[in-house]
Amino acid sequence: MFNDSDCLRILEEAMSTTADFAEVFQEVSETKSVSLLNGQVIRAATGFDSGTGIRLLAGTNSVYVYSSDNDIEVLLKLAREAAAAIKGNDKGSIEALKELCSTTRSTVEIDPMSVPKSDMVELLRKSSDFALSYSPLITQAASSIAAKTRTARVINTRGVNTEDTTKRIRLSVEAIATKENEKQSGRVAPGTMRGYEFINEYPLIDKTRECCDTAIRMVNAGYAPSAKMPVILGNGFGGVIFHEACGHALEATSVGIKNSYFTDKLGEQIASSVVSARDNALIDGEWGSYATDDEGNTSSDLLLIENGILKNYLVDELGARRMNCAPTGCSRRQNYSYCPTSRMSNTYICNGESDPKDIIANTEYGLYCTQMGGGSVDTSTGDFNFAVNEAFIVRNGKIEEPVRGATLIGKGQEILKNIDMVGNDLKLSAGMCGSMSGNVPVTVGQPTLRVSSILVGGRDS
Amino acid sequence: MDIKTAEEFMEKLVKAGQEYGFEECEASFASESSMSIDILNGEVSSYENSATSTLSFRGLKNGQMGYCSTNILDDSSIDFLLKSTMENCEVLNDEDPQFIYCDENNKDLYFSQVSEAFSKNTYKSFSELGLKIEKAILALDSRIDAVDYLTIACSTGPYLIINSKGLHSYRDSDGISIVASARATDDDGSVKSGGHYWIGKDIDTFDLDKFLAKFKENLIGKMGAKSCKSGNYKVVLKSEAFQQFFMVFFGNFFATTMQKGLSLLADREGETIASDVFTLKEEPMYDDALTKIPFDDEGVLTTSKAIIDKGVFATALYDLKSAYKAGKTSTGNGFRGGAAVSEMPTNLIVVPGEKSFDELLEEAGEGIILTDLSGLHAGVNAISGDFSLLCEGYLIENGKKGRPVEQITVAGNFYEVIKQLISVGNDIINLPSGEGEFFTPSVLVSSLAISGEE
Repeated sequence: MFNDSDCLRILEEAMSTTADFAEVFQEVSETKSVSLLNGQVIRAATGFDSGTGIRLLAGTNSVYVYSSDNDIEVLLKLAREAAAAIKGNDKGSIEALKELCSTTRSTVEIDPMSVPKSDMVELLRKSSDFALSYSPLITQAASSIAAKTRTARVINTRGVNTEDTTKRIRLSVEAIATKENEKQSGRVAPGTMRGYEFINEYPLIDKTRECCDTAIRMVNAGYAPSAKMPVILGNGFGGVIFHEACGHALEATSVGIKNSYFTDKLGEQIASSVVSARDNALIDGEWGSYATDDEGNTSSDLLLIENGILKNYLVDELGARRMNCAPTGCSRRQNYSYCPTSRMSNTYICNGESDPKDIIANTEYGLYCTQMGGGSVDTSTGDFNFAVNEAFIVRNGKIEEPVRGATLIGKGQEILKNIDMVGNDLKLSAGMCGSMSGNVPVTVGQPTLRVSSILVGGRDS
Repeated sequence: MDIKTAEEFMEKLVKAGQEYGFEECEASFASESSMSIDILNGEVSSYENSATSTLSFRGLKNGQMGYCSTNILDDSSIDFLLKSTMENCEVLNDEDPQFIYCDENNKDLYFSQVSEAFSKNTYKSFSELGLKIEKAILALDSRIDAVDYLTIACSTGPYLIINSKGLHSYRDSDGISIVASARATDDDGSVKSGGHYWIGKDIDTFDLDKFLAKFKENLIGKMGAKSCKSGNYKVVLKSEAFQQFFMVFFGNFFATTMQKGLSLLADREGETIASDVFTLKEEPMYDDALTKIPFDDEGVLTTSKAIIDKGVFATALYDLKSAYKAGKTSTGNGFRGGAAVSEMPTNLIVVPGEKSFDELLEEAGEGIILTDLSGLHAGVNAISGDFSLLCEGYLIENGKKGRPVEQITVAGNFYEVIKQLISVGNDIINLPSGEGEFFTPSVLVSSLAISGEE
């Protein structure tokens, strides 16, 4: 990519009019993946991508230009166009570039990029073979491994000069059970910033069996009821509900323009007093971690909610300007074709004091959700919805029959206040989060917890 | 990267691929130039301008098709592309043959549809229009607090495909989109958000008054919404909602999905799967479509066809690989979604019925209009067709639109819904979808389960 003097030329061009800040973001990424279906290797792909994004700010006015053409003349031209479009008052200055700061939160022993695809295939085939021979009800077994190495360099007019490298790898195993016209699946998709050793250590066969069991249970299950009822959310991916219903509404993307139900609520009780939550990008080797964000800020472990009180928002540079506060090191983007904005990393509800067994035992009637699907939220109104992939009815404190097809709906601001029991079995779970700056790897997480009342949309009334 | 440079590189790459030992190989180049502006609080808050491109290579070795892509077009990339693709071929063991294709009579296609109007898309024209739209939205109703999101964007780009069998075909496209949403607070403090969109090829054809009327209906019309009683209702799925709903399950019409055993439509071509009022066509060169698609990403000519004809499942969509496996010919639906080729639709058209939207309400008598469905990426089982979705809309009372409803879910099964279509309206809208657009009116469904208040 470019040397420092090329980057400075771009910054100078960008600052030639009325921007008060400019930033050059350069990115190089390599990907490799293999996918199996029923034991056949149906896809093997390799990719390389690189590009540059140039951002100019003048107050809260923003201009972003980007290109996959890394020719310096092309980028100087783009920087000139950007400078012509920015709407500021005065010409800003460029501070001297600091020493390059190179960082990573990946803890890699075996670089996935050096592992032959044939080794990956051999491993995945064990999962396929196991699943297909597990039960006649299992009709499809799909699995894949995808690895990505990404280096992101940030240089800006405040002298920031950083380079962060992330190496991530994700395994996906899915088993599908078929019964007459009904197909249901069980899936696990762990991701990590560790190396291929994570895949080698992963209890693949045990997890494949769990996927098969879920798929078989769900294909045999009746429909979930439709009613308002207590809902127990299992640990791990159950945290997606907090991610969607609360996390997004704490991002400066919405708070900064007052399009969030948590706007101007710092210091206020927004959740039940048993709820504390963090967004922690510092966990070594965790899927949603990073050392330096896509604006060149050091990442952080941010306390979002403490005993129900709102403590912090997730703030990027533009959000900081709108909210008159400091950025929190949470600015991320899928790649150079997205302008960065405030995003979550590893976001979780902290351990509480209840024993998960007591949470079940103390529930007379409700829904126990053990596997969640995805969901979405409107941060202006709080309306959210989540799919439940695996759930059971709880009756008289006991887990009873499995049910399928449930959706949880409600308003984020209400759900947080209705959490009445929080377990002590915190677990994190990998996912992808899509928002204004594209799809980024995140983890969601929580201990087992209970919400006193959620509307369950099922098919049995 | 200009197209001429890419073309020279691709010819060199394909030649090198044959020398490297691929039985056949193919290079494709997709490039996109885009520009967008965001309006917030009376200002252009953000402006974006970009040029990106990707070169994809695929090669056949021992019947296996490996893929690789890059954005760097130089000699070192040729080595990288060939070596990586060959490595990928070596680990594959797909039992189904794949093909690099060339139709001798249609191997040098050229189709350009970028309109002259594209040159009107400038920072100045977009920002002036954007500011005007924001101001007009805020003036619609005193309860509107802010226009949280207003983006005007345009993009254009060529697609070029060259292969070792002699194919050398070019097409391009362009388009403009306007998307806006606003937030309004009612007297009781409850907040609603809503918005509208427009797509077109000529910014001068944007009709602000028409846009505002729909915008107002979608936001202010929903004020005061509350839940409704649970039960089974006759449902009018408004055109936008029906489009979203239908597309979530559309993968079931792809031959590859069927061949993987993941579609309940497998082996059912020729059978009645929907109500006889329902006809769905694919028209790649549809007159009203912004993007016309003469050939797919494998170089196969696209074709007009009914997918569902008066309720009968007429044909699945095929690419070269799935067609061979099924003993059929490709329907020209092989597109590169991500790295590899698989089936995608071009322009889809639900053939309209006789009734207007209001006449659909009259026919329903009592029921619910659903205007927005949320969580479509999560609240459905794409295989079984089961869905349970958060939704919004209006009651239908005495054959007329009644009060707005929210915080309800609608649940059912896709395959049952298409059988329960009683009427298809004539209020056609078009939305971007697949490789083209989806043109559909609103539809009336005989019964769906709604969960609301106890």
